[in-house]
Amino acid sequence: MPSVVTANVLRSGAVVYLTGNGQWVESLDSATVAADADALKRLETLALAAVEKTEVTAVYAMDVRVSAGRPEPVSVRERIRAAHKPTV
Amino acid sequence: MYRYDDFDHGFVAERASQFRGQVERRLSGALTEEQFKPLRLQNGLYLQLHAYMLRIAIPYGVLSARQMRRLAFIARKWDRGFGHFTTRQNLQFNWTKLAEAPDIIDSLAEVEMHAIQTSGNCIRNVTADPFAGVAPDEIEDPRIWAEVLRQWSTIHPEFTFLPRKFKIAITGAAEDRAAILFHDIGLKIVKGPKNATGFRVYVGGGQGRTPYVAQEIAHFIPRNELLSYLEAIMRVYNLHGRRDNIYKARIKILVNALGIDGFRRQVDVEWARLDKAAIDLPSAEHERIAAAFMPLPLEAAPVKDAGVDARRRKDSSFDRWVRLNVVAHRVAGHSIVNISLKEPGKVPGDASAEQMEAVADLAEKFAHGEIRVTYQQNLVLPNVAVKDLAALYDGLNAAQIATANTELITDIIACPGLDYCNLANARAIPIAQAIAEKFADPVRAEDIGPLRLNISGCINACGHHHAGNIGILGVDKKGTEHYQITLGGSPKEDAEVGDILGPSFTAEHVPGAIETIIGTYMKSRKDKQETFLQAYRRLGKAPFREALYGPEKSKRGVDAETEASNV
Repeated sequence: MPSVVTANVLRSGAVVYLTGNGQWVESLDSATVAADADALKRLETLALAAVEKTEVTAVYAMDVRVSAGRPEPVSVRERIRAAHKPTV
Repeated sequence: MYRYDDFDHGFVAERASQFRGQVERRLSGALTEEQFKPLRLQNGLYLQLHAYMLRIAIPYGVLSARQMRRLAFIARKWDRGFGHFTTRQNLQFNWTKLAEAPDIIDSLAEVEMHAIQTSGNCIRNVTADPFAGVAPDEIEDPRIWAEVLRQWSTIHPEFTFLPRKFKIAITGAAEDRAAILFHDIGLKIVKGPKNATGFRVYVGGGQGRTPYVAQEIAHFIPRNELLSYLEAIMRVYNLHGRRDNIYKARIKILVNALGIDGFRRQVDVEWARLDKAAIDLPSAEHERIAAAFMPLPLEAAPVKDAGVDARRRKDSSFDRWVRLNVVAHRVAGHSIVNISLKEPGKVPGDASAEQMEAVADLAEKFAHGEIRVTYQQNLVLPNVAVKDLAALYDGLNAAQIATANTELITDIIACPGLDYCNLANARAIPIAQAIAEKFADPVRAEDIGPLRLNISGCINACGHHHAGNIGILGVDKKGTEHYQITLGGSPKEDAEVGDILGPSFTAEHVPGAIETIIGTYMKSRKDKQETFLQAYRRLGKAPFREALYGPEKSKRGVDAETEASNV
């Protein structure tokens, strides 16, 4: 399944997603989707470097479905997280 | 109220300064997340779904107006203008920034507050009867002992790395308003030989994955021996509690593995060999702490007030609020006022900065400046003169915290659930809102009568679903939020864990299912005096189950049981 690398900004805790050039963005739409294991590995290497530089924490990969070119989280948890706010 | 002495001030200031250093080192990269996590958790700072969450200790649920005002200030300056009162009488801020957390901790220290031991495998904030010191059915004020336990357990070197977290609750009253039987240790102040005051001690209660009602380990412990007795319990747990499996690490698992008699024998052996004189509280220290909790010099007054009575006759909302939210005080002419944070449609337990300030102002004006937090996520003004009730009500009403629903179906306990929490499997808040809106008609809610409805977004049970007369547990079923309903739980002196009713429901079907359960109760109750819990205990789950799932057929019944036990 395609995936996206996510984390929290260390200083603020804000939810962010990784792009292929090593930037962390708050909009999931702008995240880079890894279509396969090799692409995910490249993202994870970038993410680890950001952890070393104390930019982000709690890094992990999450499953997405790509619909009309945009990644959509598979789990309810990640859908709520990607909205950056509670549903209530 | 207890006020910090120089030692307390020095200790909290030192911890605040250490925490600032720890955060600086984390931000500079000198500490890894793995190294930092236990340090931040020891100061109540979690990383949740959207942000960091700071859990602030409110010792035994007691707050001054000044402290409440400071919480409002913090909410506005460093958070998003609101806070969330929890089922452990604490307050959580949901949008904390790590870089600002040391400033918040400093600000708290200025008003004698902190976030120490609100997380981690230590003795957590001791919780207590929110009516402590003012309840007519109380033997002795449990706040004195809650404060003793706070001081005893704070960075106790032996009990800082327990197998798992440890929760103590205490009451001095006949009615249990602190759910003591769902705690690792529950303490009840009782009278013993020669009318001496002491403690009945219960151990091994808890909710979570494996719920248990606590069992009595000691019928009467003289109060001057309480600390050594608790130390003996803690030592047996610390030594034999499991550390290999997080799900089996709580004291309840150990108590049930050994049996209460076996566990008691070990505690007695340990107690006999402790140096009690070195551990137990010297009477001078007891007197020092007790002096902080002297009853207010309230003058007895007539129980009835003509102005209040006249207002009750012409204002049915006020009348309902007095009937449901106001209870008798130990001094005639005074009352204990419940402030509901459960307006239907709102997030249970949330209070805005403006509401916190309104409560602080009203507490100063009408309630001697003291506020309590309940584990049901509401507030209490423990000392209000009957003659002031109407003016207080108008003040609360202006702040939208005059909902009259204490212990009714809309007074729902709900954990933050998947809207905020990293552990949750399902949302709890929208379910609470949907149910509260369905039963928002106050006349109907009052007709249904006392009913504890509790919702948890995962099996950790922060929302106390096991102890709800109606409990709702959110589960994840193949990526969809489902809700399992339990009936018959009770958090009180008749404590019981609820029974799973049958297969779970999706979110949109939960309010309808609750409606069906309530309809079944209303049809079947003997009279208005028979509460939901009493009716359930008389009828059993069969009629509720049949109303929800249809007539019992052997095959379907088996499927339902299997499914219920699998989720």
